[in-house]
Amino acid sequence: MSLYLYCLLDDDFIVENVIFSGPREGISGSLVTLFIPEDFALLVSDFAGTSVPVTRENVLLHAAVVNAVLPETTPLPFRFGTLTTKAALDSFLAARSQALRAKFELVRGCVEMNVKIIWNREWIEEKSAVEMKPGTAFLTEKRRQIFGSEARVTEATKIAAWLEERLSNSIRETRVNTNTTDKLLVTAAHLVERGSIDEYRSRLKNAQLERPELHFLASGPWPPYSFANIDLEFKTQFGVS
Amino acid sequence: MSFEQIIVSGNAEQLEESELSLLETLDHVLNSGLVIAGEITISVADIDLVFLGLNVLLSSVEAAQEVLQRRVTDAK
Repeated sequence: MSLYLYCLLDDDFIVENVIFSGPREGISGSLVTLFIPEDFALLVSDFAGTSVPVTRENVLLHAAVVNAVLPETTPLPFRFGTLTTKAALDSFLAARSQALRAKFELVRGCVEMNVKIIWNREWIEEKSAVEMKPGTAFLTEKRRQIFGSEARVTEATKIAAWLEERLSNSIRETRVNTNTTDKLLVTAAHLVERGSIDEYRSRLKNAQLERPELHFLASGPWPPYSFANIDLEFKTQFGVS
Repeated sequence: MSFEQIIVSGNAEQLEESELSLLETLDHVLNSGLVIAGEITISVADIDLVFLGLNVLLSSVEAAQEVLQRRVTDAK
């Protein structure tokens, strides 16, 4: 029997003895319970099997369980499909306690807001003045296929910087991706203090008015999915970095 | 402050309970979050409404535009 993990909670949640008011039944119908090893608390449920089917029901259940604590506290949400054993979980929490504490410090009192920026336009490459040899032309085309049009990447970078500048006073941290697709130029996740959400929305609205040619897709508040992972520690652990 | 997750499109029209909300949820839950092991095994055999990766994002946009267009048409 495995443990299915929804989210990690820190001391505040335990101290305040908040009663979990989310869905009682989690993935595969098992009871969602508050599991409290030392220093942390987790919302978990039992799971029989080695992988979690990706269905609309399962994904929404995962989201609903994590969302249920958001009004009370800011959790570190696990990615959908995270299964472990109690022993492995204890080991993870002991080994990564410091990094997880740092994550909680980062997200405490905040929620995640998201912006996607779309621009429906053709990206036409300027022809190189120099005639390229076949090999260079091939590699240039490959690069374009992998990284996208240079003109688009340049514009996406500019727009990301512009957005950051417009919203910077309302956000604690940002995750931006400009290496997306021809239409989708920028995806940005912003960590926003709960008390600053209205200000953030107002700034975003002003930014939208400033650039009517861009299509904005804004959503939130979300649990801080984009700020929860401890990538570097994992990379170091597995010798990748 | 309301914790209802609101999706706002380019013209600030709110799309509540739309396909867009679902796709945004999928985007968050499947593409990000804390990972406890080197990899996560998920099964897509029973997939019914999931477009992994960037397709989610573009689908979101198209869904938003369709919903908006329908609303404009309905309002006329």
